Amino acid sequence: MEIDGNTLLFIIIVFYIFFSSPGGDGVSSTFEFNQMKILKETLDLEYQLFNNMTYDSNFKNITGLKLSYQDILDNPDQNATFPLPNKNYNSWNVGQSHMLLPDKVINYIQDEVWNISELENKNNVFPFNISSSLRGTTDLISNHKYEKIRMPIPNFYKTPSGFSVDQPELGDDYSAEWPGSSEVHNVTFQRGDINIKVTHINRVSNDLGSSKKYSFNSQDDKWKFLELQITFNDDAEKEKHSLTTFGVYDIQRGRILSLSDSAKFHSLFAFPHYMSLDQDENLRKESFEQSKKLITEYWDTSKYIDTLRIGDLSAAYHNAQEKCEYAIFLQIDPWNQYTKDQLKMIDDELNWPLGRPANLSDLPPISISSGLFFSPDCGVSLKLDNVRGPRYELQTKKVRYHLLCGVILIMCQIYLLLCQMKHTNTPSSVNKISFYSFRMINLVDGILAMVYFIASSIVAELYLPLVISAFCSFILASLFETRYLIAVYASQANEEGISIRTLFEGNTEGPERQRVIPEVPDEAAISGGIYGRFFFFLVTFSFLAISAPAWPRNVRLFVEYTGLFILNSYWVPQILRNAVKGIPARNIRRRNENARNRGQTKLPLLWKFVVGTTIIRVLPVIYIFTYPSNIFKHHKNVKFVVLLSLWLLFQVSILYSQDILGARWFLPQHTIPEGYSYFKSVTSQYLAEHGDESLVETNSVDCSICMSGIPLYVDDKPETHKVDQYSYMVTPCNHIFHTECLENWMSYKLQCPVCRTPLPPV
Amino acid sequence: MLKLKLSKEQCNESCSSGMSPFNLFSSQRDPISSFSAGPVGDDLYHWQASIMGPPDSPYAGGVFFLSIHFPTDYPFKPPKISFTTKIYHPNINANGNICLDILKDQWSPALTLSKVLLSICSLLTDANPDDPLVPEIAHIYKTDRSKYEATAREWTKKFAV
Repeated sequence: MEIDGNTLLFIIIVFYIFFSSPGGDGVSSTFEFNQMKILKETLDLEYQLFNNMTYDSNFKNITGLKLSYQDILDNPDQNATFPLPNKNYNSWNVGQSHMLLPDKVINYIQDEVWNISELENKNNVFPFNISSSLRGTTDLISNHKYEKIRMPIPNFYKTPSGFSVDQPELGDDYSAEWPGSSEVHNVTFQRGDINIKVTHINRVSNDLGSSKKYSFNSQDDKWKFLELQITFNDDAEKEKHSLTTFGVYDIQRGRILSLSDSAKFHSLFAFPHYMSLDQDENLRKESFEQSKKLITEYWDTSKYIDTLRIGDLSAAYHNAQEKCEYAIFLQIDPWNQYTKDQLKMIDDELNWPLGRPANLSDLPPISISSGLFFSPDCGVSLKLDNVRGPRYELQTKKVRYHLLCGVILIMCQIYLLLCQMKHTNTPSSVNKISFYSFRMINLVDGILAMVYFIASSIVAELYLPLVISAFCSFILASLFETRYLIAVYASQANEEGISIRTLFEGNTEGPERQRVIPEVPDEAAISGGIYGRFFFFLVTFSFLAISAPAWPRNVRLFVEYTGLFILNSYWVPQILRNAVKGIPARNIRRRNENARNRGQTKLPLLWKFVVGTTIIRVLPVIYIFTYPSNIFKHHKNVKFVVLLSLWLLFQVSILYSQDILGARWFLPQHTIPEGYSYFKSVTSQYLAEHGDESLVETNSVDCSICMSGIPLYVDDKPETHKVDQYSYMVTPCNHIFHTECLENWMSYKLQCPVCRTPLPPV
Repeated sequence: MLKLKLSKEQCNESCSSGMSPFNLFSSQRDPISSFSAGPVGDDLYHWQASIMGPPDSPYAGGVFFLSIHFPTDYPFKPPKISFTTKIYHPNINANGNICLDILKDQWSPALTLSKVLLSICSLLTDANPDDPLVPEIAHIYKTDRSKYEATAREWTKKFAV
């Protein structure tokens, strides 16, 4: 291969980009390096304080934990500094004098959420693995009753003020009027939806470069380390809050504590204290020590400080600026119907299905019996209601079945389409198919393939079934349907530039006779155009789909419903096409069955195809709109589905009525013009002009397909009136062929064999 | 075969002039008879034709043989025609395949064999180097016409005389 200057330059640039990217931690400037250094020093110091902490000693100089609720009550302008005068750091008690939470909230947690007073009921059994997607509602308790605890963001998190600055500022920033300046952080709705995705963290990586993971939890049967992705919003989705937090799950008591983490709140160190709210000191000590061990093991195994990236730092800063900190207390419903051994078996069976005798279909959902969200820095508190969801593995399994059903539907569609293609195997019959009907069907399948494809890269567990679904629908859309579309388009290419009116008359004659006869494009050009438009629509749709979640809910719903309605009107163009082509009623077609032009008047669409396609296409919509926990997490709306089904039924019944009564039954009689008829008599003048001289006497012309003569019905020669007018065909360009010859040729191409003028289909 | 018989029978009934569906002996109507054709043995689907090199072309003096295979659905599908004599031409390759639009997608059932052979004759006179089957020859045809003519004449002398 020759390498010229440009290629060499290109290779050099590629290598430069490849090798000049920053190292594993993403640090790319001295300023960032110093930022990371300060963060690591701070965290190291805080971790040492944490290590020395006991169940009865207070937090010291840990970011976000320096103040307690009582400190703010005493002095609302109290800065978060260490040490505070007159503050006792050597004792710890459950209460607002040591915690970020007001006494009222603490009491609520103790009595309503974690039911600490009923602790005697010790023989509750809780599931070991609670990875799941939980959905439910949330109610606002208060958004203004409690004082807001000041949580300053350390100054070193800020971006540099100039290019020459190498050293980040020190100290804390109180300048921003938090959070009064904006209502973005506040929760203003009374009731909304909440979504909690619980994931277990069992193994962590301890190196930025490698993906090798190590398990860290030595108390795996008692404690679990979790990650919670929480979103909550009002019904209209005008206000949406989302946070990702670490959590600790106490399997023995079914308690979950989750604390958000950001630049202003290093919450990992707060878990042991907030996890142990029991009145009994021994219990408190026990859960403190155990949860502290869990955090320490996580910290050490993941080498928390060494694996920090600059991205973590900026994310922490961003979260601190944009979001409220939350302390989340949840209580899981016990599964007392199982023993611990049974639960172990259920978990094993879910992880590695071997057919153990675990009755998975009866497995109850993971359910949160009570929960409380409290934000110390925004003063917001929320409670949870009826939040539940199936185990993640079960949900995945169900979705897999649904996807499989979808694939079967697509297979059925391919089969029906093949039948339909076989049914219309000549240009004349394909000509009666509506291009736009199939265009719409094709678009839906293309969109489906795109959706599956995007989903496969998001949902890793369902990668294989999603890719198979995407592949099947893509094959259906791009191979079978587009092939058919090309055939339909090719057969209708000679109609280009003709008005509907003329088409209606089935005629290419008339005022437009002078138009430039369009070159019938070859298949490569047609398929190029059709594929081009297909992919253009797909790309446009993907842009819309990606931007759609950002639209307001009302706009989104409107677009979705109108879009679905339009895409499900796919038989309308076919109804119009039937009317334009003027397919006769069924009994007339039956009568003509024995006539010479049999087969040319058959209905373009197979009934099997029409009914099958309608059912195949409406089933997924019914599933999405009525099945409560469907794949797409779509809300329920039975009314819309009923309307849509009725609309489809209406379209199919119109198609059926066209079959029975003729395609133009709904049009007034006088608007129906005569179509072009190939079967007509000729005049002797025509014979004189076109016929071969030697043949004029015989009143016949030569058929240029079979080279034999055609006896003609000549108007002004009574001796020719015995000739059957259906034995020959006169084209609009005045060429005459045997009916059999021309119909045979028209099944290959709608073009006059002599002058190549496009022909109207019979 | 069945189809052929059928069409022949129908023809016998209806054709007043008694012409075969293989309508090539209409050549008496064509002015130039620089070619001839006829079936090989008993197989009506396989024909052989010969073309005289057009006098105003480098192929003058040569006689080129072609083999013709009629598909069963002739005349609705084009016949398969290929040169059996080697020829140096931008639109005809070493296997004798001919690149001619009327033999492919521009086929019309009104075309007779004599018209097709006439078209091939005129292709010999006026090659179409813009849509070549052998790009090397087309390149020489466009850049060095005299070299092309010399080679074509040489090949004609070698293989077609």
